[in-house]
Amino acid sequence: MNPTDGKDTTIDSSASDGGRITDLAWISALYEFGHKAANGADSQLVLQEILEHIVRGFDAESGSIALILDGTTDQLELAAGTDLPPGLIRSMLPRGTGVFGHVVETGQPVLVNGNAAETGLPLRGSKERQRTTHSAMCWPLRVAGRTIGALAVNRAETRPRYTRGDLDHGQAVTGLLALVMANHRMHVERENRILELSTLNATMQRINAMLEDAQNQVIQSEKLASIGQMAAGVAHEINNPLAFALSNLGSLSSHLSRLFELLDAYVAGDDALQPKAAELSHARKLRDETDIAFLKQDSAEIVSESREGLLRVKRIVQDLRDFSRGAGEELRQRVDLHAALDSTLNIVRNELKYKADIVRHYGTLPEVECVPSRLNQVFLNLLVNAGQSIDGNGTITITTGVDEHEAWVSIADTGCGIPAENMNRIFDPFFTTKPVGQGTGLGLSVSHSIVRKHGGRMDVQSEVGRGSRFTVRLPLAIDTSSAMFAEEPDRRAA
Amino acid sequence: MASLLIVDDEPNVLSAMRRLCQNASILPAIPEPTITTFTSPLQALVWLERANVDVVISDYRMPEMDGASFLARVRERQPDTARIIMSACSDIDGIVRAVNHAGIFRFVSKPWSDPDLKAAILEVLAHRRLLLENRLLADEVRSQRDVIVRQKLELERLERESPGLTKVRWTEDGGVLLED
Repeated sequence: MNPTDGKDTTIDSSASDGGRITDLAWISALYEFGHKAANGADSQLVLQEILEHIVRGFDAESGSIALILDGTTDQLELAAGTDLPPGLIRSMLPRGTGVFGHVVETGQPVLVNGNAAETGLPLRGSKERQRTTHSAMCWPLRVAGRTIGALAVNRAETRPRYTRGDLDHGQAVTGLLALVMANHRMHVERENRILELSTLNATMQRINAMLEDAQNQVIQSEKLASIGQMAAGVAHEINNPLAFALSNLGSLSSHLSRLFELLDAYVAGDDALQPKAAELSHARKLRDETDIAFLKQDSAEIVSESREGLLRVKRIVQDLRDFSRGAGEELRQRVDLHAALDSTLNIVRNELKYKADIVRHYGTLPEVECVPSRLNQVFLNLLVNAGQSIDGNGTITITTGVDEHEAWVSIADTGCGIPAENMNRIFDPFFTTKPVGQGTGLGLSVSHSIVRKHGGRMDVQSEVGRGSRFTVRLPLAIDTSSAMFAEEPDRRAA
Repeated sequence: MASLLIVDDEPNVLSAMRRLCQNASILPAIPEPTITTFTSPLQALVWLERANVDVVISDYRMPEMDGASFLARVRERQPDTARIIMSACSDIDGIVRAVNHAGIFRFVSKPWSDPDLKAAILEVLAHRRLLLENRLLADEVRSQRDVIVRQKLELERLERESPGLTKVRWTEDGGVLLED
């Protein structure tokens, strides 16, 4: 069946007042509405304005626009109308019936003159309205081959009926209208997309920041792990030559003492020798040219300075090796942190006593499960650092306490503080601001790694010129999944 | 008098240790040390076929054979030696194996401290001496027990032949009562 066939519709090609639709001013006005719609004005309003403009243009009594709902193929919604009772706008039209339904389904315009029922169109149950139709036109609104709805105009009985020519003119105009509406829809969609994109963007930025954070942590721990591995491999190579060089220095020093002792004895013996034996003249000449006292003192210094250098190498290798170890392999026990702090203080008290007063604010702490020797090393590092940061006289305050899940020990100094640009690097291996020979740059990174292997964490607050506060936090109950098993990959790698 | 065998693939370590052990002015002094060194554990094992030592000190990481295996084989050949392992790396597994398998007396890490190393050598020497002495005493006890057993058997034989012969009856004032 082809209901749009000319024979099925009553076409009156006689009287028509189509003059106005060719009016350029009218087309230009329509274009303006379209422009408004494309720029995102309220779609309902624009649609209504466009409809009224078209109704005027076609010298019609009334008109209406129905649009296919998004996501359906044939569900029509009344989008605009000129003489409709309020509340009918946005109401659904029955599917597949009525002029709208027919036009949308076929995609072909329809001209109705006279009794609509006689057109053979599949009309609605209530035929009241159609029966009184004097003359009407209905066009599909099509964009890019897709029907998005339909537009209809009705002419009053006082006016001549529409003609086939009017229908064709209208087709061109509704093409434009469809485009305008599509533009508007696209505009709305674009707005929505932009909104979506910006929220997506914000989410991505957040995720990105998290990823960056995680990546930094991975890089940091990989750096530590690779240094630990390298250290374990290199330790053997360095320790062997270190061993014999150190031991040889000891032997050399012992030999030198003997030699000088012997020399002293000879010199003393020679002075007592009367008369001076001529055979010793060469020896006496050499002795007069030589500053024996200087040689004696300087060779002792050479030995002790070389020894100090080698011991420093030994300490660096030891520190490096601590990376690969940490708390994983040693026996944990329940430890009174105050006792640990006090015993560490005893060791460093001599170093600190001329620089800082030590103030202890001990809270009430339960025993904490840890490797005491390792933790003492952390406290030692923090206390020595605190002492070194103080120029002249200052105070080191040790405060302890307990939160819900953690015991904490904070060591605060009134020293020089840490500049903001160094904050990110203080736990990096080999990062040091101390003069050459005073720090290996490993103290804090080893401490950090020890605390981490205890399942704890360490944080720092610092203000340049005011001082720094390092806080070590240790879990009250060891979370074996994080603290112990986290070591597994490390150990396998090593 | 103490005989030491030192094995390390690094010749400089061997000469440094030899110097250290022979130098009596670095305390504690090792009395009359006789020192033999090898850079090859295999050659050391061959040498051990015909020589006895009091202490064997071996490096842990060597190309031919690790120190734990070497000391385990030393133990098979001469169980009475005191065994010390030295290592430049803290390989926990290796040390555990050395302790369990080679029955080492001491672990010394490199670089060592001179007085500590010498003290460790003296200590294992003393420990070994104690062990040997202990065994000597135990042997003595065993042989004396044999004598006692023999005497007891003789007594029983005499008693069987003439009952009452091995028993002495005392009077209250300390006199001896004779039969008949």
